[in-house]
Amino acid sequence: MGGQGLDLRDLVVKRGNRNVLEGLSLTVPAGQIYALLGGNGAGKSTALFAALGLLPVTSGQALVDGKDPAHQPEAVRASIAYLPETVALYEHLSARENVDYFLSLAGQIRTKAQIEEAFAQVRLAPAVHDQRLSAFSKGMRQKTAIALALLRQTPVLLLDEPTTGLDPQATQDFHTLLLELKSTGVAILMVTHDLLGAIDVADTIGLMIDGKLASQWHARNSIPRFDLQGLYAAFTHARIGNTSA
Amino acid sequence: MKHFWREVGFLLRQRASVWAVTLLAGLALLSVGLGLHDVAKQKAAISQVIDLQKQDSAAIKVFATEAGDAAYYRFHPTWNPPAPLAFAALGQRDIAPSIMRIRALALEGQIHENEAQNPELALPGRFDFAFVLIYLAPLVLIVLFYDLWSGEREAGRLASLEAMPLARSHLWFPRILARFGVVSAALIPVFWIGALISGAGLRDTIAFTGLIVALLGFWTLFAAWIAKGRGGSPTNAAVLATVWFAITLIAPAGANLVINATTPIPDGAAILRENREAVHDAWDLDRAATLQRFYKFHPELASSPPMQRPFEWKWYFAFQHLGDQQVESLSTFYRTGIAKRDARAGLVALALPPLAIQRAFHRIANTDLAAQSAYQDRIRAYHTQLRTYYYPYLFLAKPFTPADFDATPEFSDRLAE
Repeated sequence: MGGQGLDLRDLVVKRGNRNVLEGLSLTVPAGQIYALLGGNGAGKSTALFAALGLLPVTSGQALVDGKDPAHQPEAVRASIAYLPETVALYEHLSARENVDYFLSLAGQIRTKAQIEEAFAQVRLAPAVHDQRLSAFSKGMRQKTAIALALLRQTPVLLLDEPTTGLDPQATQDFHTLLLELKSTGVAILMVTHDLLGAIDVADTIGLMIDGKLASQWHARNSIPRFDLQGLYAAFTHARIGNTSA
Repeated sequence: MKHFWREVGFLLRQRASVWAVTLLAGLALLSVGLGLHDVAKQKAAISQVIDLQKQDSAAIKVFATEAGDAAYYRFHPTWNPPAPLAFAALGQRDIAPSIMRIRALALEGQIHENEAQNPELALPGRFDFAFVLIYLAPLVLIVLFYDLWSGEREAGRLASLEAMPLARSHLWFPRILARFGVVSAALIPVFWIGALISGAGLRDTIAFTGLIVALLGFWTLFAAWIAKGRGGSPTNAAVLATVWFAITLIAPAGANLVINATTPIPDGAAILRENREAVHDAWDLDRAATLQRFYKFHPELASSPPMQRPFEWKWYFAFQHLGDQQVESLSTFYRTGIAKRDARAGLVALALPPLAIQRAFHRIANTDLAAQSAYQDRIRAYHTQLRTYYYPYLFLAKPFTPADFDATPEFSDRLAE
């Protein structure tokens, strides 16, 4: 896949009188996974919306595969697949129809074989491909949404709390899939509360506090891949700080 | 177009939408069917009355050897044939008569006699295509639009949808257009079928179709504007329903009350009563004086010899004529008042698009107040023709033969056009 990845430069986003992002800067190169951690209200999801161009940026710049959503919003959205925290597809459509529908919205056409292949990749059983989503578990919905993201074949993937509510096996499967995607050159920014999951798959972990990147850790080539002690301490401090606030 | 058709297909996968649109199409079909039936009934009644009146006239001809007998006993049919598009917007046709049999007697009483007949029947209004379009179609559009954005937001899909490239052109615009298209498709072909059956002209059919599109377009834009706001689905539904209620029911009814209160007119029954009283009182008035008053209006008949017998037809028809003169100012006041009320309603309609479109429907279908007034004008013109035809026989002793009976002017619905 390849591409120029995602680059957030000194982003400031205001909501009302409050700065939700206060100079956030981070880079996700192609073929890397960036896990963005932080307590509730730290501004993680806002960073994703700013990258998508769904929120106006007060200052700073977001570059998605080299394109600025403020100036080329459609081109940016064509370069991003976005998986929200709660995967909400259409209940009255089957998995296949949902995928078809959203691909059509994106102006993309995929063959039946390509769709089957994406379903196989996310391990969605063939028997349920034509079942309505109303009968699906959260894990199955997640898989459908991921299959859609795969089929979009975008250079950048944004994930908002992707493993919330998944059982351990589904989480493991999801991480495997992320690593497969990463190997194709996709730049992945994953907003999460799941520190263990982040340690498992991320190349870089960032910790957000009050709209800013407070700390950042890069994976090492040795085991453990991260400075676990430092990570836990910072993460716990951030959560306590957030709770007490 | 593929996005439009995709959204149409998507909409038709939702059971509630299918029910709403099917119900609307069914009601439109029913309204067109009933409208065509009503119009056919009116046409049949008109031709039946014309035929029966011929038989009636033939029977009168046997004994009506004097012009006075013919003028007194003979009814003359007048009619206001429904325009081809009347089936779609019956308008005034349900309360105003489409047939009136008149005699050469005082006219105003005959015209206003109809207003005393079962006015309660007019209260519920008619279930016609215009009713379905003005009152029901907006409700279906509201059902299809109120949660267009909020429903996606509440289901957690909005961000995913907005994150799609070209969401506006590939998603929201086709979605809006699909809803507009589906509701239009439930109504317009049904109307076209009715127009085809009734033999409506192409120009009127296109104009009427344009009005349908304009009304649906108005509600589509308004509902989409409300739906695009930040309100939740229940709030949007409540706002849209309230606005619908306000501008289709409350505001027109309120405006009607204000217009009626500020533009008083005599009621038709008062004109009828005064006309009758003037005629009845004339029996007790000095006959020569009555005739002299009449001759002021018809000096060409003043050479008529004085009355020789206690009853003569010329005196009788003279005071019938004077009866109309007596209520002329009241009748003019009534007619100008009605026209003024109608003009004021037209001004109100400038601020109420549904009302404006409803009025335009009735204009095209020739079922509005103007059409009804024009019919009354044609009756008055015809009645004048009748009177002036009989007067030489009544006043100047011109012999009245069976050929003259047959040559009596007949009503034409194009008389005043």
